[in-house]
Amino acid sequence: MKTITFKINGSKYSKDVEEHKTLLRFLREDLHLTGTKEGCGAGECGACIVLVNGAPVNSCLMLAVEIDGSEVTTIEGVSKNGQPNSLQKAFEKHHAVQCGFCTPGMILTATDLLKRKPKPTEAEIKEAIEGNFCRCTGYVQIIEAIKDASGQLKSTEE
Amino acid sequence: MAEKFEYYDPKTVKELCKTLDEVGSKTKILAGGTDLIVEMRAGIKKPAGVIDVKKIKELKGIDFDAKKGLRIGSCVTCNELGRNPVIEKKYSILAECAESIASYALRNRATIAGNLCNASPCADMAPGLLVLGALITIVSSSGEKTIKLSDFFTGVKKTVLQPNEFVKEIIIPAEKANSKCKYMKQKRIKGHDLSMVSVAMAVKDKITVAIGSAYITPVVLPEFAKSTKVEKIIEAALSVVKPITDIRSSKEYRLHIIGVYIKRLYEQLVK
Repeated sequence: MKTITFKINGSKYSKDVEEHKTLLRFLREDLHLTGTKEGCGAGECGACIVLVNGAPVNSCLMLAVEIDGSEVTTIEGVSKNGQPNSLQKAFEKHHAVQCGFCTPGMILTATDLLKRKPKPTEAEIKEAIEGNFCRCTGYVQIIEAIKDASGQLKSTEE
Repeated sequence: MAEKFEYYDPKTVKELCKTLDEVGSKTKILAGGTDLIVEMRAGIKKPAGVIDVKKIKELKGIDFDAKKGLRIGSCVTCNELGRNPVIEKKYSILAECAESIASYALRNRATIAGNLCNASPCADMAPGLLVLGALITIVSSSGEKTIKLSDFFTGVKKTVLQPNEFVKEIIIPAEKANSKCKYMKQKRIKGHDLSMVSVAMAVKDKITVAIGSAYITPVVLPEFAKSTKVEKIIEAALSVVKPITDIRSSKEYRLHIIGVYIKRLYEQLVK
């Protein structure tokens, strides 16, 4: 066991964690933040992506002990006052969610993209989400939602 | 992960040397973890402990000195290299290699030295570093030595590194700055994939070519004079490589693409 101190979604924690536990399992089993999903467990699918110090990482390939002193954002931390943020709203509006399994990882990847590149091109959006698999939508609606959230779509009816 | 293990997090190179002397033979060094943790989760590697080197300041940073050249600390990640202005200006091929690896999130963790130490024949950093004549600094409690990257790989997933040694940094000689160079990687899909075959070429006063995924290690060919005909370079390349047929490609296709890529690179960089 090792004691680690970290912030998740703005709240500070100090917890004991087993050395061999991945960040993904720590989030889901110890902190009960089950919005983060496990898909492949090998860094291929992106369902487990969270932000560590603002940067997207695959939490299935990170040890929980490695977040000592860091700040983590999971899907539970992106809404504001219980209301979905603009990206979440855009995903809903464009039907970018079907089964929903990839959505937490997609939203966090897109959050980072829009921070780095507020007006991404379609090619930049595709490159950013190349590590996030979606097996329902065919990606088109997801790309549209990210474009819309960045203010690059002409307004359509709500 | 099913198997339990110890976690070590030395804060200095000196502490790391001591830890390696004590437990190096039964542990693995953890940098980005994008290869190691995959293999540990799959049960392919079962170390008694991991040594996390990311808290060691001496292993970080990218520095350029007009005399000494470029220094890449072993904990520099692919994305740090990819967005570094010096790399973009003077050693652009390294950004091309780094940004061809996996996906954006994995590149936030994957390190340049980790890509080399994992020693896969398809390591994307290797061809770019090899054509720039990269050197690699290896440290242990008995001292420091610098060897050519071309002498570092010994086989599939094998290097010269001993259990008590680690990679401190990668050095690119200053005279290789501003070479005309380019990396080409053939993949099955446009997105996140390992290479079927890859070719790097650098042109300054000589032509240098390196190839990935076509031999038990990444390979660099002996330098060619700039007047060399492209057919000669392709012939030399095909006499050195020994690709296999596997899940990603057939041997014949790999041999074909090596020729195609050398020709394309030659047309862009030499002609």
